[in-house]
Amino acid sequence: MRVPLSWLREYVDVQQTPEQLAERLTLLGMEVKGIETWGADWRSVVVGELLTVEKHPYADRLHLTTVNIGSGEPLHIVCGAHNIAPGQRVPVALPGAVLPGERRIERTEKMGIASEGMLCSGDELHITADAEGILILPPGTPLGRQLSDLYGDIVLDVDVKPNRGDALCLIGLAREVAAATGAAVRWPEISVSEAGGPVGDRLKVEVRDSELCTRFVGRWISDAKIGPSPDTIQMRLQAAGMRPVSNVVDASNYVMLELGKPTHTFDGSAVRDGTIIVRLAAAGEKLETLDHVWRELTPDTLIIADPRGPIGIAGVMGGADSEITAATTEIAIESAIFDPVSIRRTGHRFALRSEASLRFEKGQEFRLARIGADRVAQLTLAWAGGSCARGRVDTAPTEPGSPRLAFRPARVGKLLGAEIQTAEQRDLLSRVGIATEPAPAGSRIQVAVEPKPLEIDPGAEEVLLAVVPTWRRDLEIEADVAEEVARVRGYETTPSHLPDTLMPAYRPSPAIVRDAVRQTLAGAGLTEAVTHALVAPADEARLQWPDDQGLSIAQPAAGAVIAVTNPLSSQHSVLRQHIVASLLAVLALNERQGREDVAIFEIGKGYGRVGDAPREWTRLALLLSGNAEPAAWNRPARPYDLDDAKGILEMICRRLHLPAPSYVPDNRGFPFHPGRALAAEAGSDGESITGRVAELHPDALEMWELRAQRVIVAELAIRGLDGATVRRIRVEPIARFPVVERDLAVIVNEGRTAAEVEATIVRHGGGLLRGQRLFDLYRGLPLVAEEKSLAYRLVFGADDRTLTEAEIDAAVAAVRSGLEIDLGAHIRS
Amino acid sequence: MDFESLSTDLRSLQARALEEIAATADPAALDALQIQYLGKKGDLTAVLRGIGALPADDRPRVGAIANEVGEAVRGALATRGTELRAQVQTLRLAAEKVDVTLPGRPVARGALHPIPETIAAIAEVFGQFGFVTYEGPEVEDDLTNFQMLNIAPDHPARDLWDTLYVDIPGHLLRTHTSPGQIRVMQSTKPPIRVLLPGRCFRYEAVDASHAFEFFQVEGLMVDEGTSMADLKGLLDECAHALFGPRKTRFRPGYYPFTEPSVAFDVECVVCGGVGCPACSKSGWMTILGAGMVHPVVLQYGGIDPERYQGFAFGMGVERISNLRHAVPDLRYYLENDLRFLEQFR
Ligand SMILES: [Zn+2]
Repeated sequence: MRVPLSWLREYVDVQQTPEQLAERLTLLGMEVKGIETWGADWRSVVVGELLTVEKHPYADRLHLTTVNIGSGEPLHIVCGAHNIAPGQRVPVALPGAVLPGERRIERTEKMGIASEGMLCSGDELHITADAEGILILPPGTPLGRQLSDLYGDIVLDVDVKPNRGDALCLIGLAREVAAATGAAVRWPEISVSEAGGPVGDRLKVEVRDSELCTRFVGRWISDAKIGPSPDTIQMRLQAAGMRPVSNVVDASNYVMLELGKPTHTFDGSAVRDGTIIVRLAAAGEKLETLDHVWRELTPDTLIIADPRGPIGIAGVMGGADSEITAATTEIAIESAIFDPVSIRRTGHRFALRSEASLRFEKGQEFRLARIGADRVAQLTLAWAGGSCARGRVDTAPTEPGSPRLAFRPARVGKLLGAEIQTAEQRDLLSRVGIATEPAPAGSRIQVAVEPKPLEIDPGAEEVLLAVVPTWRRDLEIEADVAEEVARVRGYETTPSHLPDTLMPAYRPSPAIVRDAVRQTLAGAGLTEAVTHALVAPADEARLQWPDDQGLSIAQPAAGAVIAVTNPLSSQHSVLRQHIVASLLAVLALNERQGREDVAIFEIGKGYGRVGDAPREWTRLALLLSGNAEPAAWNRPARPYDLDDAKGILEMICRRLHLPAPSYVPDNRGFPFHPGRALAAEAGSDGESITGRVAELHPDALEMWELRAQRVIVAELAIRGLDGATVRRIRVEPIARFPVVERDLAVIVNEGRTAAEVEATIVRHGGGLLRGQRLFDLYRGLPLVAEEKSLAYRLVFGADDRTLTEAEIDAAVAAVRSGLEIDLGAHIRS
Repeated sequence: MDFESLSTDLRSLQARALEEIAATADPAALDALQIQYLGKKGDLTAVLRGIGALPADDRPRVGAIANEVGEAVRGALATRGTELRAQVQTLRLAAEKVDVTLPGRPVARGALHPIPETIAAIAEVFGQFGFVTYEGPEVEDDLTNFQMLNIAPDHPARDLWDTLYVDIPGHLLRTHTSPGQIRVMQSTKPPIRVLLPGRCFRYEAVDASHAFEFFQVEGLMVDEGTSMADLKGLLDECAHALFGPRKTRFRPGYYPFTEPSVAFDVECVVCGGVGCPACSKSGWMTILGAGMVHPVVLQYGGIDPERYQGFAFGMGVERISNLRHAVPDLRYYLENDLRFLEQFR
């Protein structure tokens, strides 16, 4: 809320500087987000007196004026307005002046005659809404003074929290200032001179739903004359961020800002039979609202109607038909209290959230209905004249007294962690208008209210009753009293100490496996990305990443894609099920920045739904593109290939103390390179890791508009990424007897995979085979075209003895013949 | 052959050998000289072959001279060998000289993203005070995200959270990590000290300071006497750990799920409290919101609000990271420009 200080000062004395006041209010919970100098954008605008006003010789609509600005020669200024006359005091923008909107004023020539500046309208200065005439200042306004010195103001931007609707007005903030400084609040003098006949002769009100409209106060003014409100009022409204409209509408808005009471004024002649009916809309009813939009009213919309039909949406917006116009003379004033929830729903439904509806939504002090009606009538009479009918129409004239709220001073201290004596608590509460009184025996403590009410018997503890001011609708439970005590005392007085109570039981961090993988990958040169979970449906679909979900323990079923029903944009409208597409977008972005070598990974979630049950899972995705080793002065570049990704996966397995992964070719083609893709698996039945590692198909690179020739990607489910510990290491005793190595070149047909050869070696290696490692892959002479040679180094050993040559030869021979028989291989030793 | 001529031969052999050894410039040649003079078929052996023809009295004398000569030649060989090896090594080392100012062979090192790293830093601080980490679902139900946190469906405070809804009835993308409070309280008993980090979502247009996906860390502590003073003590430690020693303060805040509610400010990390544009001239920067858990929330968590009380806080991970690393734009985080990320290597 924008609070002009000069206006605030009408209700409370302020001795502090604006900065001090802002600090005090902030520490009291009314956070001042900014301090603005109103009028700071009137630069070199001074007060002048019109000496002469003559017709321009060459242009009928222009005037030649001379203006005294208090010093120097009078200025010659050409002016197009018609409301000026000699003797008036007016704002003069001197050459070099800058007006709101960075409008620069220079010495100009208008129709052949020089103009040494400009006379300003209220609109040009953003002071009033009047764009037609020059702003006429009161006689006696000091000549030559900067306008900003006279009409400038300091405006505080106060962030009033949603629970403090009572402070969304100048009186409310004056109460907070008073609490902070000890000053007294001055209410405006509110009295209505009732010169007309009884109000009942002009206005009848029927509330058909007293739940949704708990009170309706009406007043009637006749023979008003619509026009602009006084300049000073317009300036105030402008400074508070509200556009002046007309004297009657301004009166209503002024009261909303002053007292926090939204009211509405109708053209009385448009209210048929002078009868206002507050009811729910009937199906099919329509209303043209003030903004000239026809709105279909739904049966849960609370409306203001006359006997013929709707004339306003209650608390949200009036109807166009009954709008105050220049011709209006009869004015019906509505000052009502509506159900906050109903107003909120209606505002949302019609996407109409106004200053008024915002205040209704937060709830209204009951007596404000009466006070607001009176104040609007008073100001209307003052600014628009006319005569006010005698009395009010009031559907609920009985105003409830202050509720009592029992609290235990000791509990307040316990919550705050500070000893605060009862006397001090009472004193603190009194500063925000909360009186305290002894609690009668049997008082119960309201610990919580709806939606989970809890009331308890305080037993022997000391209990006080807080007398809650009628405007403080937010004080409902004991903890609310604690908050008042704390904020008036100042939260900066809260003691600071470390807890000395029991510690909870140990629980491993859910990030242990995740962090192990992250650290490992960063050490291997990959950079971590964090991308959006919300993606475009097209991106999600077009990559056609194989759905491995449900294949293993680590890959639970994904289900259907979850869509956002109110997305911000189509680019972010569904929750992703795979991460690789997001990494491709990251690659594309970096390529656009001229970055070719990209090695990134992300550990992120995928999302799906099975029926109405959402599910989430965590995956590792990685992407390699460009060079693994960029060219350096001491070595050539080496591009990334599939083996890098596999090497990374194998390293992850070692880091997590999992078995080495096994690979099965994946020849599906798109999105993969048909000859460079695989399904990887580690642990029995993929219990530990499953996923795909692949070079992407060139068509996929084209889809993402990538420049890279080759992009290697992987997406892997790793058990424990969303919470588990790393498998404990169990040490193998160091071999006491030497091991022996034998090399074997296995010549097989191209169709055979390394995985098959290796599996065959293991199968026939017997108990003495300790390991095998591929150390060479050869194609070419003397091999024939369809052959390749895989050279393995086999390691043999035993725990209890040094192997004999005969034993080793036998083991190698078994492997040889196994390879020959099972795979049709030739062996060269 | 007599003693004199034999000893003369030996002496001249010695002189010749020492001369040749001294003249040798190559270790291989030195090896050859060793064989030539001292080998089994070498010159010394050859000379000594004549010893058998000497009278028995002379033999020891000749033997002694032969030993002397042998020692002298061996010694000369060893000395020259050492010299030569040293020379060779010196030459090799001289030849191997490199320009040591050339850059090293690059070793790849990736960077870790500041969001998980900041979460880890926060978890490390609170971990020292017994806070354990839980993670809750991101697709939440309205009940847990709002209603159990004392935010009724038509509560005006719902305006504080512009929500993204999903096509599962009653579900939404969590707008904060606070629903984790409910989940933790429902599954554990006091004493509770937990951290709840994670991704959150809001219906919010993106600019330098707004994002529709962002990260929070929620904290929750519940026990019989847990008070606002405990909250202040822990947050002071946290601020100290993350930003170094600096002043802190509570000021009033508002959240429907805490009562009382506070905002926690630290002395501006840019100006140190003097006042600057970064802190809107106030000298303070708000780093998180907190408060005492509302009795309604405790009850939804299955905890008796008469017996237990506790605090909760929620901090924006990007906010903390922005302040710690001087990140100027929120969009940097999810854009993943390597020029940004690699600064965290
Ligand atoms: Zn600062």
